[in-house]
Amino acid sequence: MIGNKPNWKITILLMLGGLFILLPLYLTITIAFKTPQEMTGNLFALPESWSIANFLNAIEMTNFFQALGNSVFVTLITVILVLLTHSLVAYAIARNLHKKFYKFLYFYFISAMFIPFPIIMLPLVKQTSMWGMDNIIGLAILNAVMQLAFNVFIYVGFVKTIPKELEEAAIIDGANTWQVFWRIIFPLMKPMHATVAILTALAAWNDFMLPLVILSDSSQYTLPLVQYAFQGQFSTDYNLAFASYLMAMLPMIIIYIFAQKWIIGGVMRGSIK
Amino acid sequence: MVNRKRFTFLLMVVPALVLFFTFHTYPAIQGIFYSFTDYKGYGVWDFVGLKNYLNVFQDGRALSAYGFTFQFAIVSTVLVNIISLLIAIGLNANIKFRKTLRATYFLPYILSVLIVGYIFKFMFTHLLPQIGDALGIGFLSSNILGNPDLAWIGIVIVAVWQSTAFNTLLYLAGLSTIDQQVYEAADIDGAGSWAKFWKITFPLVAPFFTINMVVAMKNFLMAFDQIVALTGGGPGQVTESISLLIYRGGFQGGEFAYQSANAVIYFIVIVAISIIQLRVLERREVK
Amino acid sequence: MNKIAKGLLTVTLGTSLLLAGCGGGDGDGGNADGQVSLELFSNKSESIDTYKGLIEKFEEENPNIDIKLEAPPEAETVLKTRLTKDDLPDIMSIGGNATYGELARAGVFHDFSDSELVGKVQPSYVEMLGKLVGPDEEGTYGLPYATNANTVIYNKEKVEELGIEIPTNWDEFTQALETAKEAGETPIYFTLQEAWTAMSVWNGVAGNLVADDFAERKNAGEATFAEEYDEVADKMLELLDYGHKDNFGIGYGDGNNAFASGEGVFYIQGNWAIPEILKTNPDIELGTFALPSHDNAEENNLVSGVDVALAVSETTEHKEEALKFIEFMLSEETAQTYIDEQKAFSAVENVFQEDPVFEGIREHFEEGTLTSFVDHYYPAGMGTENLVQDFLIKKDKDAALETLDSEWDKVNDR
Repeated sequence: MIGNKPNWKITILLMLGGLFILLPLYLTITIAFKTPQEMTGNLFALPESWSIANFLNAIEMTNFFQALGNSVFVTLITVILVLLTHSLVAYAIARNLHKKFYKFLYFYFISAMFIPFPIIMLPLVKQTSMWGMDNIIGLAILNAVMQLAFNVFIYVGFVKTIPKELEEAAIIDGANTWQVFWRIIFPLMKPMHATVAILTALAAWNDFMLPLVILSDSSQYTLPLVQYAFQGQFSTDYNLAFASYLMAMLPMIIIYIFAQKWIIGGVMRGSIK
Repeated sequence: MVNRKRFTFLLMVVPALVLFFTFHTYPAIQGIFYSFTDYKGYGVWDFVGLKNYLNVFQDGRALSAYGFTFQFAIVSTVLVNIISLLIAIGLNANIKFRKTLRATYFLPYILSVLIVGYIFKFMFTHLLPQIGDALGIGFLSSNILGNPDLAWIGIVIVAVWQSTAFNTLLYLAGLSTIDQQVYEAADIDGAGSWAKFWKITFPLVAPFFTINMVVAMKNFLMAFDQIVALTGGGPGQVTESISLLIYRGGFQGGEFAYQSANAVIYFIVIVAISIIQLRVLERREVK
Repeated sequence: MNKIAKGLLTVTLGTSLLLAGCGGGDGDGGNADGQVSLELFSNKSESIDTYKGLIEKFEEENPNIDIKLEAPPEAETVLKTRLTKDDLPDIMSIGGNATYGELARAGVFHDFSDSELVGKVQPSYVEMLGKLVGPDEEGTYGLPYATNANTVIYNKEKVEELGIEIPTNWDEFTQALETAKEAGETPIYFTLQEAWTAMSVWNGVAGNLVADDFAERKNAGEATFAEEYDEVADKMLELLDYGHKDNFGIGYGDGNNAFASGEGVFYIQGNWAIPEILKTNPDIELGTFALPSHDNAEENNLVSGVDVALAVSETTEHKEEALKFIEFMLSEETAQTYIDEQKAFSAVENVFQEDPVFEGIREHFEEGTLTSFVDHYYPAGMGTENLVQDFLIKKDKDAALETLDSEWDKVNDR
């Protein structure tokens, strides 16, 4: 374990394991470029010609850019809402945990982590629809509510590590509590913001169950929901289907390729806290 | 001044409190309320007392959903934790291409469970039987998702493939907190790698183990997306998870009230399991 | 200060986005220039292209009406969700089954009783829909549009090669299957990975073997599956012997594909599968006949039901426009286009299906030797299809029939 000589045995084992991770993605990419005729041959073979016809068809059929827009919208709004409000709530709670009300609030919020979604699903669907929230805006707000428990949990943990002296100094300089939060605490929470933003964005982007029950109008469907909605029409045209799947996954994959160090770092930071 | 500060803090939490109550607690209360009625989701309703609860316990479909969900969740939790701990130890060793390998193993986490499910469904339907035929492995030569005894394994495979990513990262975070000097000291004492794992590594990552077990178990107990994508609950109803049953029965079957009762039971079960797990695993940690 | 400015900016941006989105939501259904937007909900993914074509034509004739088609998977669950949300689509094109009956009883459909549109469709199918609603509600809550036939589809080329005569009773059918099996062919191509496809077989077999009033008597506690479905169950299992090696591993889409490319001699499916098969292989020659589950040829009727019923939401804000669309659909020209593309049969008077693929079942329509889908009268929440699929997997007849009995009672008891 120690020493400078790399351990090749473990490296090779891990590389073989990595193949298992990459195999489904390899299949997705190659099948997305193939024609139905090529599907009868060796499934592992590379496509004979890298035709983008499947992608063009899928874009038109599933109205890809509309779904992409919806997914981006929901994810963005959710992340903005979460960063601005959850950090604020967590700050207020963390600084007042000695008071009964805030302590209660803290446990009240994080207890939601143990409440399975199905228990609130049926009434929630009725309620959101009654209030005209069965759209992507309502979805973003609900996302923020559903994420509150976990985010408050990790934000509070982080705020506790921020020394109070900084705030006290600012208050002596005449700042009020709002100013203290926005000027001092909020910027200091930056590493945690990254973690929260990544986890929230991934959850919102890939979510299926909540959009499935909340959204009524198919023009507001998010990317995963569109894949579900088109199952019947893809029927056996796997090339078309896989092109559509690939495009739905691609935005996240691209972001991941460029920001993987940052994303992995952010997630790991969240777990140590 | 102090009053104003107190007021400001209150102002910071009250909107969130209101929203949270409205969209989380209030629906939960409604769900509990309706579980004592015969409400269909529309129209008129009456109180029926505990009838729904008693019916759940006699409902073969519900019981089999609980059975399947637990079997799936326990097996997946154990597998995910073993595999991700192994991978994490591997990634933490002195290896080549660490960054790339780490990035590869984390990749599944960023993908949609539903879409991954569809991709695996294709593999189970078309790829695996081809391989099974070629190698002459009988049980592989047909789609395992169509076999009531094996379909759940297909779902486990997808769950493990995907969830290992996140748990590996948590273990890596745990391993990175271990001071290398501890190992050096152990080396001097002549400890083997097996002993080092059980005596040093495992106790030190134990808190992460606890959290991972609880979190993974809870997520698997709520399985929905991968089942919709892979089997839709079939063949028969053998892979119908509790979430799927509540969704299907609650809306399609007009069993709003009945499935609400089911959901309440489900909630109690999840809380109980989480508490038991925390207790048991924490006690072990102290040892 | 910079940070505050940034924070404020994000808040403003977020709020304005929110407001913009809300504004969009308000315009739902109609706006200033008199444009009316209607939602058409269909439970069939097979008919999406047909509907798109028809909608285009309708919109051309009625430029102020904009029709949006929704055809989600698990459509009945979605429709029930919409009912729970109190947000039903304006126009619904759904199957004439138990869900239809339940929605009609919930009083959410427009009553066509006084409309002259009722006169345009065949009264026998109006009656069939009425039976689904039950005796407690009077009125015509939906108009039958397309009807279907639960058939055995066969590959003409193979049947001729094997020298099989089209069977008219159970013995002949099993003999035909045996002939196919001996020739090394797959006699029946099953697609039982998807549970609902088991119902095509179930309905086909039970349609001729079980009395019409079974559901009524079952509800009254006077009949059981165990007593009256015994033969049905036996014959289901017998048919299963003539499947392929992965009966439960292949779904509907893959099955259509496989049958189209020459796998399997017989395919027990409704007429709706025909266009799907032809999509994959336009050159394949297909034929159809009624599943002869009865030992006596004269007792073998064709299982047929209302495949598509058109209904209008009682609470829609644009009933006039919605009814206009229904009228358009019921015109003989539209109805003909629909059944030609969908290979379906029309409930509209004077519109006939002439496709040679239906040669074998035309007689049934002409002579009225039809019977209904047994499962349309089962309670909606009992998940029959999964229970039947489960039965075929486990092959335990007594246990399965008992489960069907108890599930039925349980659902009715809720």
